[in-house]
Amino acid sequence: MSIITLDKVGLLINNQHILQNITLTIEENTLIGIAGPSGSGKSSLLRLLNLLISPTSGTIFYHNKNIMDYNPMKLRQEIGYVLQKPYLFDGTVLDNLEYPYYLHGLKVDKEEIASFLEKVHIPLSYASKTRHELSGGEQQRIAFIRSLLIKPKVLLLDEITAALDENTTILLENFINDLHKHSQITVIFVTHNSSQLHRLAQKVIYIEKGQVNIFADTEKYFAAKENSNE
Amino acid sequence: MNNTALILTYILPAIALFISYREKLCLEKDIIIGSIRAVIQLVLIGLALKFIFGINNAYLTSLILLIMIYNACIVAAQRGQGIAHVKAISFTAIFLSLFLTLGSLVLFNAINYTPSQVIPISGMVVGNSMVALGILYRNLISNFADRHDEIEVKLCLGASPHQAAQSLIRNSIKTAMVPTIDSMKTLGIVQLPGMMTGLILAGVAPETAIKYQIMVAFMLTGAITISSFTASYWAYRGFFTNKAQLISK
Repeated sequence: MSIITLDKVGLLINNQHILQNITLTIEENTLIGIAGPSGSGKSSLLRLLNLLISPTSGTIFYHNKNIMDYNPMKLRQEIGYVLQKPYLFDGTVLDNLEYPYYLHGLKVDKEEIASFLEKVHIPLSYASKTRHELSGGEQQRIAFIRSLLIKPKVLLLDEITAALDENTTILLENFINDLHKHSQITVIFVTHNSSQLHRLAQKVIYIEKGQVNIFADTEKYFAAKENSNE
Repeated sequence: MNNTALILTYILPAIALFISYREKLCLEKDIIIGSIRAVIQLVLIGLALKFIFGINNAYLTSLILLIMIYNACIVAAQRGQGIAHVKAISFTAIFLSLFLTLGSLVLFNAINYTPSQVIPISGMVVGNSMVALGILYRNLISNFADRHDEIEVKLCLGASPHQAAQSLIRNSIKTAMVPTIDSMKTLGIVQLPGMMTGLILAGVAPETAIKYQIMVAFMLTGAITISSFTASYWAYRGFFTNKAQLISK
C-alpha cells in the first residue's frame, strides 16, 4: 500500500529549479535510499516530505491526502526527520530525550529512553552529559533516537552517517534495519555511500539536477548504474 | 533659576566646544546645532505644554498621547525592519502598556487625568517602552537567525511555531526588561533619576519626590513588561508561514 505519492512535484527557489516534475510512489514499510550528486535536490526532497518547505508545483500525498491539507505539526509527528548535522538543545542528554514527551504532553518513559540508548550503544551514565561533552557521533545517535521518541511512521534521514566512523555507521544501519523490521516503519534516507545503499536500501531513488533519473529496486539500480558506466 | 544664570550655563557646552576644537574631534558643528536645537525644541514644547495645561481638556490630552505613541511606534519599528506588521505590533504594544499603567495610576488616585500629570508620566512610559521594543526586535531578529537549526529541529519533532520559538521569545523579553530592572535595583544608590531630581530642584520635599519616583519605577517595570510581552508574542508569528515553516530571511 502506498504511503507517500509525489505527483509532478517541483520546487522553484529564487527562479532556480531545485526539483522538477517528480512523480513516484513510496510503498509502506520500505527502506528507500536517495542518491545523487551534491546539490541535486536530495535534502530538498526530504524537507518537502516533512513540510518544512512547500512544493511550488505538483502535489505530495501522504496516505492519499494532500500534505498541504494536514495540520503540519501532526504530519511532522508522523513523518520524522533527522538532519545531517545533529543539533542537541542546551541541557543534558536526558533533557533532549525528554523533550518529545513534554512537547506532546506525554509522561516520560524512562525505560523506553534507556532501551533506545542501549540500542545505539550509549551508556545510561551519559544521560547527565551536555552536548559539549559528546563526540559528533554520540550527538548524532542522541538526535536520532530523540526523533524516534515521537513514534513516527515514516523516518527521513539526511546523511546521518556522513560524519560517523565505520563501526558507528554499521551500528546505526543495524538499528535502522531492526526498526524497519519490528516497528513497520518506512525509512527514506539520503546517502552518498554506495555500500550503504547496498546494505540498507530496498529501493533507490537517484536524483540528478533536480530530476529523478532512476527509481528502482536496489539491485536493478546498481545494474543500471553499471550499464551506464560501461 | 533666573534667565542670567540659565544663559551662563552655556559655558558648559562652550567647554565641550573648546575641547572638541583643541582635540580635533570635529564635533563643534554638532555641539552648536545640538545646543541650539535643544533650546528651541524645549522652548517650543514648554509653550505647547503651557497652552495644553491651560486648556486642560481630556480629549486634547488623549490626542497628544496618541501622537506620542505613534511617533514612538515609528522609531521602534525601524529597529524591527523585516518583522511582519512591525508598526501595528509596536503601536498596539505601546498603547496597551500606556493604557494599563496610566489607567492603573488614575484608578488608584496616584495621579489625576490632567495634562500636567498625564503627559510627563506618559512620556516616560512611551519612551521606555519604545527603547525596550527596539532591544526586543533586534534580539528576536538575531535569535531567529542564530538559532535557526534549533527551531527547525523542534519543528521536525512536531512542535508548533510557538513551542519552537518559546525559548527565543523568553530570551528576548528578558533582554528587553533587564535594563529597567537593573536601573530599579540601583535607584537612589547609583542614580537619582530625572523625575526625582527635577522635583527636588523645583523645591518639592525629598520625601514627596521619593514617592513619585517609586511610583515611576514600578510603572516603568509594568509598562516594559506589558509592551515586550505583547510585541514578542505577536512578532514571532511573522517568522513562520501558515504551514508552520520557518521563513529564512
